[in-house]
Amino acid sequence: MLSKPNILVVENNIAVLNKITELLTSGSYNVASAETSMEALGIIQKNPGRIDIMLLSLDLPRLGAMPLLETLRKAKSPILVIVMSADCGEEAIEAIHAGAYDCIRKPFTTGRFWVKMNRSIERFHLKRQLESLQKERRIIQGPVSDSMLAILDSMADGLLAADLHGSLVYCNSKAAAALDLMCDEFGRPKQQVIKNKELERLLADTIGQEPDSLPKGHEICLWEVGEKRLRVHIDPVFNRDGELIGVVALLHDVMHISGLNNIKDDFIFMVSHQLKSPLSSMLMQLSVVVDGLAGDLNSKQKDLLSKAKEKTKGMISLVNDLLDFRRIEEGKVLQQIERLDLREILQRTVELMAISAEEKNIAIETHVDTDQPFVTGDRNAIEAVLVNVISNSIKYTPGGGRVAVTIYRSAEDVRIKVVDTGIGIAQADIQRIFDKFYRIRSETTKNIAGSGLGLSIVKRIVDLYKGTIHVESEENKGTTFIISLPAAR
Amino acid sequence: MKNKKILMVDDDVDFCAAVKLLLESRDYEVILAHDGKEGLEKARTVEPNLVILDVMMPEMNGYDVCVVLKADPKSRSIPVILLTAVDQAIFKTTYTKQMGLMTEADDYIAKPVDSTELVRRVEELLIRRV
Repeated sequence: MLSKPNILVVENNIAVLNKITELLTSGSYNVASAETSMEALGIIQKNPGRIDIMLLSLDLPRLGAMPLLETLRKAKSPILVIVMSADCGEEAIEAIHAGAYDCIRKPFTTGRFWVKMNRSIERFHLKRQLESLQKERRIIQGPVSDSMLAILDSMADGLLAADLHGSLVYCNSKAAAALDLMCDEFGRPKQQVIKNKELERLLADTIGQEPDSLPKGHEICLWEVGEKRLRVHIDPVFNRDGELIGVVALLHDVMHISGLNNIKDDFIFMVSHQLKSPLSSMLMQLSVVVDGLAGDLNSKQKDLLSKAKEKTKGMISLVNDLLDFRRIEEGKVLQQIERLDLREILQRTVELMAISAEEKNIAIETHVDTDQPFVTGDRNAIEAVLVNVISNSIKYTPGGGRVAVTIYRSAEDVRIKVVDTGIGIAQADIQRIFDKFYRIRSETTKNIAGSGLGLSIVKRIVDLYKGTIHVESEENKGTTFIISLPAAR
Repeated sequence: MKNKKILMVDDDVDFCAAVKLLLESRDYEVILAHDGKEGLEKARTVEPNLVILDVMMPEMNGYDVCVVLKADPKSRSIPVILLTAVDQAIFKTTYTKQMGLMTEADDYIAKPVDSTELVRRVEELLIRRV
């Protein structure tokens, strides 16, 4: 759909100004008006990029229309200017030389006004389309040197790029071989449609993202194309003005390392399992001794063993997180999709957390501000999201603090907001808290046990369900997590 | 009054020993078994007031033991707590719901279990049966 242009009318004759405004408003255009060129300039400067067309009277008093045209030309303003004058004579010709597009003769009939106006609006739309076409083209049509093409073609990995329509615009020889694509010597694909459904979906997802959402693309996944196993890294391509112009995909052949990866996964799984039982035993043994059931302890002994007990607990939760992680990577968190009531899941989660919150004297408050708190998903996965994000807040909130969880609706999403009065996160760290094994090292956190996996588990699950996580934090004040999940239909 | 008897079935000898100390401190009599078969035998001979069953045991696992106990009219009313290490936040509900329903176990505790938590769950079940 073409968007209607915003129009600025600059006219000192109030009767004419009112008439034009009335005509344009009846055509449902957005209209701003000014009576002097200074006023017009002010409006343009205050709304950069917002004014598309300007109707400018050449009969303006004082400074007049010409200096305004000059100023706009010097600033390389894209505003389409139509001048209005009694005769469209010498002065109008001068204005057109200075960049104006057309002249409307005053006085005018409604019919004549619209003939001129529609022509200008059409011109505006054509200009817009041309600009956006050029922009899209720029992803490949810029100057690419032979040596640059040779470099791209010599890479060990496959590389391909697509424009905003998802049409393939470049692929190097490795990518062409991997996906059975035919490309010319400049890497331009002979067919622009990509046969791989998965790639199409990923491209569409990356392109469809909100410009401000994090992370910007960066999707990694595995494809099996025939015999090949490819690890695919997709990133959006932004031009210098920060506008999205396409996507680039890197295809890495992982056939040889996927075997290794399996061994690594099995190893982690085995170790985790082998560790779990003895650690559970140790924890029970230590608990019994610390509780004095195996004889009295002096305070030094009790202190030492209590610390050993806490460390054991920490190891167990690391093992649990590793096992959870493996389940996510195996796709087990998408197994049983059903309609879930977040109110009920929240209640259960809070019950689960009650002991650890009580130990630290932290109050947990819950609010459900909607009668439609439903999402579709795997119960275990959604529970893991709530458990991990709430326990994270409890962990990083000093004793006597508060953790408030609110569930509410926002358009098509159900949101879970977790607000704590904790130690907060420095701006520099916010980007990284969802990274696997990332933990913030500081004086305040050094005594807090954790695997650094909890939030990355949350992030992975939320990503799988096409949700988002938003974090706001102020150091020593607290942190707010807002998780949005698509509401159940 | 005679002390209540608890049968603890787990192949992890050290874990059993610690739980025994814990429960004895609460004046329960604790009988140990280290595999499923031994557990079933002792359940018949000792007639415990409660059974704590580890799920992960070689040969006859805890679920199987539980099913047999609950199928026998003589042992049917003895409350059973299942213990397992194969648990995470992620899988908790599935296990409690599905396995609980299938085996008719009375309670389910994920390892690692906190000593206070274990005592609390044991007491809850025993009081319920008085």
